[in-house]
Amino acid sequence: MTPLGTDREAVPDMPNRLGLNGIEFIEYATTRPQALGHVLETMGFKPIARHRSREVMLYRQGGMNLIVNAHSEDARVSALVDEKPVISAVAFRVKDALRAHTRCVELGAWPVPSHAQAMELHIPAIHGPGGSRIYLVDRWTEFSIYDIDFKPIPGVDQHPPALAGLDYFGLVQYVDPGRSEDWIRYYETMFDFSTVPEDERYGILPKGKVLKSPCGQFMWQLIEPDPWMESDRAPENLERIGLGTPDVGQAVALLKSRGVEFIETSSLHPEDRGALTRRELGSVSFELVHRTGG
Amino acid sequence: MTMFESYSLDSRTLAGPLEARLAAIRQAGFGKVMLDARDVVSHPGGVAGAVAALRASGLRPAGLQTLHDFEGLSGPLHQYKVEVAKGMLQTCAQLGAPRLLVSASTLPHASTDLAQLAADLHKLAMLAVPLGLQVAYKALSWGQSVRGFLDAWDVVSDANCSNLGLGLDSFHMFANGDSLDDLIELEPERIFQVQLSDFMGELPEPTAPGQTTRSLRVFPGQGAHSEQLADLVLRLARLGYTGDYSLDVSNDDYAQLPAEHVAAQARQSAGWLNDDVLHRAAPLPHWTRIQANTR
Repeated sequence: MTPLGTDREAVPDMPNRLGLNGIEFIEYATTRPQALGHVLETMGFKPIARHRSREVMLYRQGGMNLIVNAHSEDARVSALVDEKPVISAVAFRVKDALRAHTRCVELGAWPVPSHAQAMELHIPAIHGPGGSRIYLVDRWTEFSIYDIDFKPIPGVDQHPPALAGLDYFGLVQYVDPGRSEDWIRYYETMFDFSTVPEDERYGILPKGKVLKSPCGQFMWQLIEPDPWMESDRAPENLERIGLGTPDVGQAVALLKSRGVEFIETSSLHPEDRGALTRRELGSVSFELVHRTGG
Repeated sequence: MTMFESYSLDSRTLAGPLEARLAAIRQAGFGKVMLDARDVVSHPGGVAGAVAALRASGLRPAGLQTLHDFEGLSGPLHQYKVEVAKGMLQTCAQLGAPRLLVSASTLPHASTDLAQLAADLHKLAMLAVPLGLQVAYKALSWGQSVRGFLDAWDVVSDANCSNLGLGLDSFHMFANGDSLDDLIELEPERIFQVQLSDFMGELPEPTAPGQTTRSLRVFPGQGAHSEQLADLVLRLARLGYTGDYSLDVSNDDYAQLPAEHVAAQARQSAGWLNDDVLHRAAPLPHWTRIQANTR
């Protein structure tokens, strides 16, 4: 028996100080909610509820919640980029949203002022990359945030099953040249993300740095422009959503039958490891990633 | 024609409206300007006016200065300073400047605990990340506890953020009696800012930012400490520092002279640094690059 406190095998401890537990929802802001809704439905998402006071729709499949925000103030960001939808927010499930928010702000996060109307839920948020927001949600066990702010669409199954076992695998963030280390330090500080080794990559687009959430449920990939892409002056942004599936081949076949197109070139095409959908509406693409171990 | 792309002149070194100063800096051949926040917010058109003037000048911003007395405070004072810092970071981002310069606290009641100073600068660096900014922290010879550049380096190293680095200021290094041998301790890629100025006569006791020093600061190569300055930049070059040099000369006499006159002095100084001290290679004429590209 070894005395308590020794670390003979140097097992790294993975702190999870916010009690992070997966992604509660991802939000797109758009001035074209119908067109985006159509794209999402081909991907298997179903519209299930409307916001009580704003032009906001909740889509769902399996464990994934996806919000389409066309509320005029929030959709302005999309109007800025030629009406292309933008990933405007990600919500993390945490143990205690208020405590998590307070901790992040004490460590240097920019708080986002709440715009909740009367009887609506105040969800604390901080500014994320490129004008996006990171919400912190703790109401995901006994009841859900959507019960308060959204009205279910009558006659619609509130829990549509996921196509091909799809779930949120993670997000891809585009960063400016030389900024990966800054963002890594940021996500380590705020959320206890950790960098996965260089040889540990998922899917068919292995560039950049990959971070893992401390709950182990999702990834966060940082991609800088290549050095020769000097003309790439695009601002930092959340570029796309990664969807995990136990069987990429089955998922690709199912999605193709629904009208989803995939990138199919000699260098980039659907494989067992992953696949990338063709961009719709100028900015919306999904990356499928093979998820092992369930 | 710009000969001094990697040299900048501080906006506060010159007098007059911002547009006239920027024009004088550009005319003198500098590629960049280090902006003083007062020059930015006092523009008749506000920050937006200053941003437009900067864009029109053709100069690139080297940074925004100076956040004072930020670290080591607690309670409401800390909160107040965080709000000040956020305002300056937003101005910095509006200008498209790459970094905010922070000088060490001079407040007698500021903490001297290294861990707290580092935690406060860590917070500042985190505030800067979503805006795409860096933070450069520099020692002041009359600072509360961070007086030498090694003191500042300890804080920066302890905070350990890639967007937090060191600012060096020759005036304070010499006034504090810092040993240039200690430069070897630094990591060159973590030096974000080097400000240079010379001084007429002996340096004053590092006690307070008194008026006595104000008319005696001059451009590098024009005062009594040129040899020391040459030693400093050569050691930095040997260390592997490849960043910019900023000429920072607050001088009451210069405040009474036309901007062009002072900018011409600055140009001479940059020439001395570039040609006589660093012996930097002159860039090839433009036409050689055009030919190379068409081959």
